[in-house]
Amino acid sequence: MSYLFLSVSIVLCGGILPFLFIRQFNRMRAVAAFFTATGCLLGLVSAVLLLAGNDQPTISVGFLSSFTLDFKADGLSAFFLMVIFLISFLAAIYGYHYLDKPERAVRIAASHLFFSLLIAAMALVVTAYNIITFLLCWEIMSLASFFLVVHDHEIEENSKAGYLYAVYSQVGALFLLAAFGIMYASTGTLDFAAAASLSEPTKILVFALAFVGFGSKAGVFPFHAWLPHAHPAAPSHISALMSGVMIKTGVYGIVRLYHLLAWHTPLFGQIVIIAGMITGILGVIYALGQQDIKRMLAYSSVENIGIILIALGLGMIGVAAGQPLIAVLGFAGGFLHVLNHSLFKSLLFMGAGMVLHQTGTRAMDQLGGLIKRMPVTGSTFLIGSLAIAGLPPFNGFVSEFLIYMGGFRGAALGKSYFVLSVLAIISLALIGGLALAAFTKVNGVVFQGEPRGVPAQNAAEHGSGMLVPMVILAAACLIVGLFPTFFMALAIRAVAALNLGYGRIPLAPFVPLTANITRAAALFLGVLVLLWILRSFCYRGKTITQAGTWGCGFTRPTARMQYTSSSFAASILNFFSTVAPLKEEHPAIKGRFPAPTHYHSQIQDIAELQITSLIVRPVIFLFDKLRWLQHGEIHMYIGYILLAIVVALVFVFQ
Amino acid sequence: MTNPVETLLVLVLLSVLSALGSSRLPSLIKVLSFQGLVVSIVPLFMGHEMNTGSIIFTLVTFLIRAFAIPLYIYVAIRRVAIRREANPIVGYHASLLLGLVLIVAAIAVSPKFNLPMPQGRPLMLPTAVTLVVAGMFLIMSRRNAIAMVLGYMMMENGIYLVGTGFSLRAQHIVEFGILLDVLAGVMIMAVILQHIKQAFDSLDTARLTTLKE
Repeated sequence: MSYLFLSVSIVLCGGILPFLFIRQFNRMRAVAAFFTATGCLLGLVSAVLLLAGNDQPTISVGFLSSFTLDFKADGLSAFFLMVIFLISFLAAIYGYHYLDKPERAVRIAASHLFFSLLIAAMALVVTAYNIITFLLCWEIMSLASFFLVVHDHEIEENSKAGYLYAVYSQVGALFLLAAFGIMYASTGTLDFAAAASLSEPTKILVFALAFVGFGSKAGVFPFHAWLPHAHPAAPSHISALMSGVMIKTGVYGIVRLYHLLAWHTPLFGQIVIIAGMITGILGVIYALGQQDIKRMLAYSSVENIGIILIALGLGMIGVAAGQPLIAVLGFAGGFLHVLNHSLFKSLLFMGAGMVLHQTGTRAMDQLGGLIKRMPVTGSTFLIGSLAIAGLPPFNGFVSEFLIYMGGFRGAALGKSYFVLSVLAIISLALIGGLALAAFTKVNGVVFQGEPRGVPAQNAAEHGSGMLVPMVILAAACLIVGLFPTFFMALAIRAVAALNLGYGRIPLAPFVPLTANITRAAALFLGVLVLLWILRSFCYRGKTITQAGTWGCGFTRPTARMQYTSSSFAASILNFFSTVAPLKEEHPAIKGRFPAPTHYHSQIQDIAELQITSLIVRPVIFLFDKLRWLQHGEIHMYIGYILLAIVVALVFVFQ
Repeated sequence: MTNPVETLLVLVLLSVLSALGSSRLPSLIKVLSFQGLVVSIVPLFMGHEMNTGSIIFTLVTFLIRAFAIPLYIYVAIRRVAIRREANPIVGYHASLLLGLVLIVAAIAVSPKFNLPMPQGRPLMLPTAVTLVVAGMFLIMSRRNAIAMVLGYMMMENGIYLVGTGFSLRAQHIVEFGILLDVLAGVMIMAVILQHIKQAFDSLDTARLTTLKE
């Protein structure tokens, strides 16, 4: 535990020290990257040691002489700490080459400060063990990430995204405050451990309120609307960290609360699993419809949160039904997917960041053919895409397979469990298929084919500091896929911290089965690579003509003849048009010699549409009616304050 | 009247009435300076244990409240060369009458607050409440921006008095925080006043209504 605090302090040094070197830009970013990465590495080691050991260290610190800050690191915390420090470590290295504009030194120094604050706050959130500590760290985390989102605030789109994020995170925090407030009011203590003594209706209320609060951070439908705006706005290593790790603190919160309430009702499982299914399916549909590469990845994070929630819901149902195997498969599969998603989503965001850094655009329809110009980025992005689509031999398959197994076991239970489990399996399958389509689209449009614009033609790889983390992450995706037993054991240690009271669970048939499938797939891929080498060996010394992709024997082919991202997805999206309405804009063609025209289409998010019409408009309408209060007379304003004080006093002393 | 604290508090109450009745800014500043002086020496007679730290602290408060801030505002008036009249919305006589009503009301209401005030100081809380409300009233009823700043200072004096009443460990921390607030607040206001003067060529706050959305 003391190592943990040491590593957090080193990370914070990495945030503060850069301000001393603002004039020497290279030294500044080196200092920032070095301290942050060192702190994260130390934190990673201590987290793995914590996970391997059996002790649950606790620390109490006095705060403002009236509160204590309690920290406790059990297996669940240690698992999330591992994920946090691993991705932060790589993101810190990536940031060294990504933020490379010396003329913006002050802003970059500020970005390093908030980056380190975000890492520290996340690490403290998952170890916090009383209400005050948790809310304090949670708020620091939200604020730090807000400042990271508005890094490029002079772009109007980004400042709007920051505003949206601030609103969502604060409203979410209010829901949390309400939930914890009820907890405090009923138990009279700030201690987390007292939550188990709440009455059952109170537990339902607390869980529902906190689910909204945590869900708005995790990106659960319909509270996800900030995610596709805020993640693209942030610098890419920050997007990787936010999408890969920060939203998982919401998942952590849900699991932690479930653990603390210690009430094994099927209701919680039903809430979580239904929310997970809706989130997953809608997330992937919207991901398919995006034309902006980072927005698409953000929606894909929503989808993966859905998968994780389905897994956790299955776990909770397993606990409620008294089936240890389903419970462990669900929870462990969910935790493993947390790890896996953090690996491939940060890989993908880093790849997208490389593309953005080198071409200056996030619009897929202006890119193309990048794998020939950026082979490392292209191939690691491809690996990340295969992993996120849940294909063997990569890691996404492992966790999803375990979740499927849990689902099939659950289907054997009968009654309402049967319906939910079957629905979970169906939605997982649907999500997997659509995710495959979505990532085929990104790879096909961005990396294959021919460049659609000048920026894509001149793109090249940049910065070893950006390439190395991507290669490491791609390798990690493969390693977790090939050797799932070790990582499964880590996830099971996290499940053990939930105190479900299960001894050794006979997981023997599942994990080796998964490993066998991934290894067979790896063998298949190996053969494929071998054949390719053999082929190039045989063609050695022969003349090979190379022509443009999609050339098709046309005399004068142009890059604009290729599939666009919208046309690729159109046929699938057409099917889902009720939940993903298409907004088209094209002035009609008129006259014999028509003027130039354009076509613009966009998939709309129904959560955004409904929130605008159901909440934003009524609120604006209501407050427009109160405009007369703002008349500009300072004296009357002071009068309002006086009136408020008098009314408050009357309430208190009546 | 053997107790010096009660005497001081009566002086403070009189200064409130005097402030409500003053029509010229320089005299209003003098009244506030006197009030700050009296309020800041109250802790010395409270019978708390005084160590070196708290004596130094009280002295610093004394210097800032009684001299630094009034002088600063006085210089600000000279610099922006404004009209020297408080320019009231509620007339001086009505204000005075209201001040008297306020004192009576404060004495009637204060016991209900149940604040842990020191025993044997019946005037402490009523005076503090009077200061806060009268300060607010001054802000509301005077159009001249400087007079409003002075009203704000009067409010802060009241809050300081409440703080003095608490014999807690954290007392000085709280009071010092208040003092810094006042200092920062007054400085910011002085800067804003100069800007208002430049933009509107007057310190009459009625003209600020044009700023509303």
